[in-house]
Amino acid sequence: MEGSDITVGSGGALTRDQDGIWQRRRLVDVFMTVLITVSALIGVAVLLAILAYVVINGAPALNLDFFTQRPLPYGEVGGGVAPAILGTLYMLFVAGLIGVPIGVGTGIYLSEYAGTRLAPAVRFTIDLIAGLPSIVIGVFVWALLVRHLVGHFSGLAGSVALAIVMVPIITRTVEEVLRLVPGSLREAALALGVPRWRTILRVVLPTARSGVTTGVVLAMARAGGETAPLLLTSLGNQFFNTNLLQPMAALPVQIYNYASSPFADWHTKAWGGALVLIATIGVLSLVTRLATRGQRPG
Amino acid sequence: MRFGFKWSLLAVLLVVVLAACTNTSTTAPTATASSGVSQAPGAQGTASQTSSVTGATSGRPAGAGLINGPYPGEARNLNGAGATFPAVLYTKWFSDYAQLTGVQINYQSIGSGGGIKAISDRTVDFGASDAPLTDEQLKAVKGGQLLHIPTTLGGVAVTYNIPGVSKQLKFTPETLSGIFLGTITKWNDPKLVADNPDAGLPGNNIVVVHRSDGSGTTNIFTDYLSNVSSDWKSKVGVGTSVNWPVGLGEKGNEGVSAGVKQNPNSIGYVEVIYAIQNKLGVGLLKNKAGNFVQPSTETVSEAAAGVAQSIAPDLRASIVNAPGANAYPIAGLTYILIYQQQTDKAKAIALTRMLWWGIHDGQKYTTELGYSPLPQEIVSKVEDKILSVTVNGQQAFPGK
Repeated sequence: MEGSDITVGSGGALTRDQDGIWQRRRLVDVFMTVLITVSALIGVAVLLAILAYVVINGAPALNLDFFTQRPLPYGEVGGGVAPAILGTLYMLFVAGLIGVPIGVGTGIYLSEYAGTRLAPAVRFTIDLIAGLPSIVIGVFVWALLVRHLVGHFSGLAGSVALAIVMVPIITRTVEEVLRLVPGSLREAALALGVPRWRTILRVVLPTARSGVTTGVVLAMARAGGETAPLLLTSLGNQFFNTNLLQPMAALPVQIYNYASSPFADWHTKAWGGALVLIATIGVLSLVTRLATRGQRPG
Repeated sequence: MRFGFKWSLLAVLLVVVLAACTNTSTTAPTATASSGVSQAPGAQGTASQTSSVTGATSGRPAGAGLINGPYPGEARNLNGAGATFPAVLYTKWFSDYAQLTGVQINYQSIGSGGGIKAISDRTVDFGASDAPLTDEQLKAVKGGQLLHIPTTLGGVAVTYNIPGVSKQLKFTPETLSGIFLGTITKWNDPKLVADNPDAGLPGNNIVVVHRSDGSGTTNIFTDYLSNVSSDWKSKVGVGTSVNWPVGLGEKGNEGVSAGVKQNPNSIGYVEVIYAIQNKLGVGLLKNKAGNFVQPSTETVSEAAAGVAQSIAPDLRASIVNAPGANAYPIAGLTYILIYQQQTDKAKAIALTRMLWWGIHDGQKYTTELGYSPLPQEIVSKVEDKILSVTVNGQQAFPGK
């Protein structure tokens, strides 16, 4: 805008033709600015609309029973989804225990040992896993764990399925953020005689810690919302269960079942469940942001 | 301090898990403890009464009231999956049974097809299906002899949602098979209007809603249609999932009733209770005797009246298009599927006790939830099946 103003101001030296070009450019500029602003606003509006819709529909479901009681028999009004909230947190934690070390480790390998012959193959494989529909992961874990190793539906099988969902997301994020760490930092550490593994652990990783944490939280959020892999693995449970080898309820599965039910009370509870799921993921990412903020180097 | 970020991450996860753990340890045990205390005295009182009354009739254990509290050595958890048709009854049963005995029976309504698959693979302790297994399916099971334990009877309601039509609609075998075959496509089709002259049927297209998953309800419904329509028998046939000529697929009885509720001018078929709970229109059906009947506890029981004498030794039965004057034509038994040779003693005890409770004490729940109780002759046949379950070569049912 500023540039075009200047040219128009010194317009005496310009021909009519050039004046038209500037005029058009300014119009295009204004048009594009409006277009981009509008699309940005639409993006934000969609998010706000979803949030508002979930809050409006879900808030009436939230009461003490919702968070503390187990589901009631079909068609009875009341009860809660406590086993599902607990099950989701439990399975996410176990999935994190399995998925985070593997994901972070693979990310480090891809970034720090990128020159090895294995790295492209690993990267290709991780990309493939990232592209797998999550139901396929569910079927795989069902065939491996539910039918054979464990022999029945279990929270453990659900956790493994969620871990597989998490690994590629963590790996890709960790690889990217570690690449952003300046090579000079690594060289400085190595020049001081620090071994390579210590350089990675104490220089590279801490520098990229907020990025690594973001990757982990992103993966947790994605896995926390997965329904398909859990349908075939953790099955669901209307009772409280903390035994990993027994079927376990999960919030997304509960939402899926309740939303497709014919009961109005369950529809409200499905909205409430969606609200809790969004809030949990929001709080999780907020807490991790706060926890990592003060420690950002330099 | 260099590892600070790791520790904070770990701390966040720990906090989340600790919060979750304290949540269970505070809520779950108190709930069971309080119910246990309140149940114990009353339950024991009824036990001594009933056993003294019924114990004298025969050598077999008494029926109702026998299971009245926890049993030492039985499993605390059982897992089952399958039919959505009896899910309303089962979730009610298992909720009350947990209060009575402390045994938590997790039931997931994934459809009869899923239930048959799960018990065949032994991924659950019991399966549930409204469709008896076919001979081929029985051959494919992994764990030996599979028993069919009938638990209740139910009717499949023809349910519809036509805005502006408040009069209860009548369907004949011809109109019903015509609608589901796609030969009757409008609500004001002359055949439908002939049966319902003053219903004010609109000229809208009929939206057919059927099951998308493997379903025992579908099996009962298609069994009926094949019985009454040779066209249906040759073009579509009977099964837990068939090639539907027309319509939208929905998952479970829950899904079909939701589908009918949400689509104007639709028609579907669901277990009676799903239609009642959703205040959906329920059609009157013309039975074999030529009367238009409403699905209800009485009409479904009448359909089952003849079955007790003719039922096969393995209790697999079809009761569609039954002859009684007021027999509802689309009815069926629903089954729990268990292995005769159990391998885990604690689970075998819990399973047989639960079934014993279900076919006796559990029957009183059936009518209020829109199902029908098992006829007495069938109950005694089911008792024999439960007593025939063994674990390590011994009878699994402890008799108490």
